[in-house]
This record gives sequence, structure tokens and C-alpha cells, in this order.
Amino acid sequence: MTPALPLAALGVIDAAFSGFRAYAGRDARIRKHRANTRAALRGLAVGTVLLLAPAVTAVLHLLTAADPQRAYAALTAGGSGYLLPLTLYATAVLLSLAAYLLLPFRASTLAMVVGLGPLTLLRPLAIAAACLGALLNGGGWASLLVGAVAGAAMLSVEPLVHHHWYRPAHTVTEH
Amino acid sequence: MLRVPPLEISDLITAADPATGRRLPVRRAEVVERLRAHGDSRAARIVAGLPADRDGVLDGVAVDRLLISVHTEMQRLSEELRIGERLVHLLRPLFTAIRASGVPGPYRLVDIGCGLGYLVRWLAATGALAPDVELLGVDLDAALVGEAARLARDEELNCRFVHGDAFALPEAATVYVSTGVLHHFPEPALTEFFAAQGASPALAFCHYDIAATGLAPVGAWMFHRARMRHPLGRHDGVVSARRAHSDETLLRTAAASGMRPLLYEPRRIANPFCTTLRPVLGLRPHLEAPLRQALGRSSRRLLGPEQLVQAAR
Repeated sequence: MTPALPLAALGVIDAAFSGFRAYAGRDARIRKHRANTRAALRGLAVGTVLLLAPAVTAVLHLLTAADPQRAYAALTAGGSGYLLPLTLYATAVLLSLAAYLLLPFRASTLAMVVGLGPLTLLRPLAIAAACLGALLNGGGWASLLVGAVAGAAMLSVEPLVHHHWYRPAHTVTEH
Repeated sequence: MLRVPPLEISDLITAADPATGRRLPVRRAEVVERLRAHGDSRAARIVAGLPADRDGVLDGVAVDRLLISVHTEMQRLSEELRIGERLVHLLRPLFTAIRASGVPGPYRLVDIGCGLGYLVRWLAATGALAPDVELLGVDLDAALVGEAARLARDEELNCRFVHGDAFALPEAATVYVSTGVLHHFPEPALTEFFAAQGASPALAFCHYDIAATGLAPVGAWMFHRARMRHPLGRHDGVVSARRAHSDETLLRTAAASGMRPLLYEPRRIANPFCTTLRPVLGLRPHLEAPLRQALGRSSRRLLGPEQLVQAAR
């Protein structure tokens, strides 16, 4: 099975969270569900566009490879290696998030303090681990390149959404 | 040797006349020099980057804008750590105890040093306390309290904000509360702070502040790094955790109020990962029994000085 689909799914979900983080801390109102949703959608839109970069990189590699079948097999292996650390990371995030949303405030503080807070800081490391996984799983340098482009794209979503819609001078109260 | 507590930038870049509340000019070079003398060159660099006029006086409008922005980011931490729910967990039984003691309503909850008034606005938006509790936020910083009032108007919330001294209000408070304020006071000023509440007609106070644990500065660094964008917020967040008062200091100083001092979830009986903020309470003596009754099983987490000593053994 090609790992492209689960990778793309992880990418767009991460982009939606990035959009939310870009907006979080910019609006002191209490009721802001709609604004949160709008920010997540903005992240999703920006992330979807940016995810075209690794897709285009992979397609270009396949089109220019001497042996496209072998190149495809290597990219598939690399993608699987890339997916494993990200799946572990995403599982940790989702478990923390579920604990945060569902448990009473003491346990939710625990989920935030040992889960969601540190995991935000660990995003670049998760992507570095994914790149290493791509290489170690036999993906070769092409997989590493595609993985690095994908990682850079994902890490760019939050600053881009923040810069475009939510930096202080541009922040307006949206209803 | 006496440990000199680190300084928070936000405490130094604004000044107001205590009598009138009017803004006083703050010279950037003096703040930078003070921070350098304190050995905090990073904070000095942050302040040196703030805009000032030709006389070197910090630009008040820019400082206000910056502090509102930093406080908005700080509110995100309060939201994520569910500070509102944490307070309601104690405030609801506290008002139940006050009602049970026969004191007639309406009651008034005053949030001292409310900043952007997150707690008061959250209480108003959620209706977490009964309608007989009036919600009032007070702060010495005109810009922050002005923004709090604007936000409350924007969402049509039933609460009020006042610029000034919480102990000079024309209407008496029933309960004083605060979040993240106590560490701003050195111990003598903290004693005065509690004594002023004891001298007022208030029936109780409940002040939440950072739990002084070894983990607090590390946790504060991580959270402010992950969640805050401006270097001032990141700096002051860690300094706040380093300045947090110990349980013993809080109980000792709260006793100056003449009320019954109590700590809820003090360090010795609480998991530091679950209790990043914990409150010190002061109660008029007749309220302790009804509060414990209203708290039910949770009342075992409420410790006075003598119980804290026992827990230490």
C-alpha cells in the first residue's frame, strides 16, 4: 500500500492544528469557536497548497528517474519509514488531546503539561525523526529530499497563517 | 545570604501615581540599567529595543499595546490550563458557605489585578456562579483594564471593570480573588496585601498563584516558549515561576489578615504536574466549617498551617 494517502491525511490534519495555533493567543474574547474554526480552515488551506511542494518533488523525481519503477519502490519504502515516527507522534498528540478534552481539570492539566505543551515544541524533532526513518527504511536520498520538503512545508504553515492573518498590526476582531 | 528575586520587565516599564492612577513617565535607560545591575542582560536587551521619545521616555502607547498583546497571549495559557474551572471548583462551595452562614446577598467578587479580566469575563460568559454574585475586575493598569472593559462590552458580558485600587472601591467586596498576582509582591508587601483584605469587610479571599515547585521554572520555560511569541512574555513567564512564594510564606503572610489562612492542594499533597497554580485562602473563622461541608471529600485538600506541618512529618 502506498503511504502517500496516510501521509497526506496527517499533513492536512497537522495544517489545521497549525492554523489554530497561529490564531491562539491573538484574541482575548471568551467565545471564539467560529474564529477558531476559521483559523483551522485557513491552516488547512495553506497546508494543502504547501503540501503540493513535496508531491511535485516526488513526481519530478519519478519522471526524471532512469528506472521509474525502482524509484517508485524506493519512494514507497521511504514514505513508510517517514510515516512511522509521525504516526507515533500523532498518536501521542491525539491521546493527550483526548485526555485534555475529556478528563476533569486536574487530569487535563497533566495532559497539557506532559503532553500537548512539550509535543508542540517537539514538532521539528518529529519531522527530523521522520526524515531519518525514510532514509533508514531504504528510501534513499530522493525520499529524504521529499520528506525534507514536506517537513519544511508543514513547519511553515503556522508562521505563514500567523503572518498573513494574525500578526498584531493586522489582527482585527472577527465575528 | 538573602536571595534577590529576579525582576519582571512588565513591572518596570509602566508606572502610575498611586494616588491618582495617572501614568508616570518611565525612562528606558533607567530600566535597562536596573536590569543590567540585576544581572539580567537579556531583559535589558528586550527593554532597550522598546520605542522611546527623544528624552528617552518609553512610548506609552507602544508599551500599552505590547502589554495588551502579551496579556492576550497569557490568557491562552489560562484557557489551556482551565483556570476558570479551577477557581469555580473552590468559589462555588465558598459562596455556598457564605449563603449558608446567613449573610444576605447580593455578593460581590472582586478580581484584584485582573489584567484583561479573563477570569471575570469567563465567569460572566459561563454563568458558573449564581446570578447573586456581582463580578468586578480591578487593575492599576489603565490600558489593561480599559481593554478588559472593551472585551466585556464586545461580548455583552454582565461584569464590570474599574481602574484603580481594589481596596479603595466605594462598594465593599464579599470575596477577593486573583490569579498570578501574589508573586509580584515581595514578602513585606504581601503581608500588607493580605492585611488590607483582613481590614476590609470582605468575608474571604482566594488568590491563585504559581505553585513554587522545582518543576515550575522548567514548565514555565517550556510553556512560554511553546505558546508565547514576544520575548517579553517568554522572559516574564519564567521569572514569575522563579519568584513564586512557597506554601509556608503564603500561609504566614495570609495570617496577617486576621482571617483563617488555608492552602488548597499545597505542594506536599498535590501532584505538581496537575497543580500548576494553587490558591491561598483567608476565611472569616465562621466560614471554615460550612466551606469544608460544601467541598465534601475535596475538603481534605484544604490545609491550615497546623495541618501543613503534620503533612510535612
